[in-house]
Amino acid sequence: MTLESKECEEIVSAATDEELVRRSKEDDERAFGELVSRYESKVYSLALRMVRNPEDAEDVLQDTFLRAYRGIKSFQGASTFSTWIYRITANSALMRLRKKQLPTVSIEDQDERETPVNIADWTPGPADQLMTQELQQEMDAAIESLPPEFQQVFILRDVEEKSNAEVAEILDLSVAAVKSRLHRARLKVRNRLSTYFSDSEKPKRRAMGAH
Amino acid sequence: MLTCKEVLESLSDYLDADMKEDIINEMKKHIGSCSDCRAEFDTLTMTLKLYKHEAGEPKAMPVGCHDRLVKVLELEKLRSKGAPPPKMV
Repeated sequence: MTLESKECEEIVSAATDEELVRRSKEDDERAFGELVSRYESKVYSLALRMVRNPEDAEDVLQDTFLRAYRGIKSFQGASTFSTWIYRITANSALMRLRKKQLPTVSIEDQDERETPVNIADWTPGPADQLMTQELQQEMDAAIESLPPEFQQVFILRDVEEKSNAEVAEILDLSVAAVKSRLHRARLKVRNRLSTYFSDSEKPKRRAMGAH
Repeated sequence: MLTCKEVLESLSDYLDADMKEDIINEMKKHIGSCSDCRAEFDTLTMTLKLYKHEAGEPKAMPVGCHDRLVKVLELEKLRSKGAPPPKMV
């Protein structure tokens, strides 16, 4: 590597996202390459959480950066690059999920309790003591059972730990809509885990893979 | 005094501390004295804790994933710089 290219690489890696976006718009391939390096693992991780298998997640990753590459010149910078790339990821993952989604019962019809109904308390003990491989599968299945639009809100907010405002920006929703979907998604996921814990209480250990 | 219905509707905002302080205090008071609502609150809190705990696990890219992405982008670059677009079947 020549000294010149090494210096050039250091300049690129020290640049802000905004600077890299500006240079990418001017066809600076190295700048776009740096944006890819900075965000590819975050995009992949979000994609994997949303589509839940590595092959689809890689397709979403490639689709996301292809769209970003094609669209960078028209990216106005009203949001940050990170919000923009997450939005593309979420849209790409959503399209894939919709293609695969089995018909689900509308979330509107479910879990609409007006009063509490004696939920068994399965909460004593720290989270890491409850965690088993079987529980992790149940947690994934709980997310999967949500309609895709609710899965997205739940994953971004409660798994990726983004704020309501960030989720609203990424999904192009109002904050009120994010909060409403989040509330319903949380209750539905919780109800599924409550069922899991109350079932697994009876025969103390359920056979692995049994449903 | 808030009703159980009102508490249930606001549990999510309460968990996020996304409400006015006087309502937070009312919620706290209700949940402290109503065992059903407390179970609702505790199980919801633990659900979110479990997901946050799981989120700590890294979701690493598979081997070769980065190289395949670079290749896809290089092909796109060539295509956009005048190579004929691939025929759509």
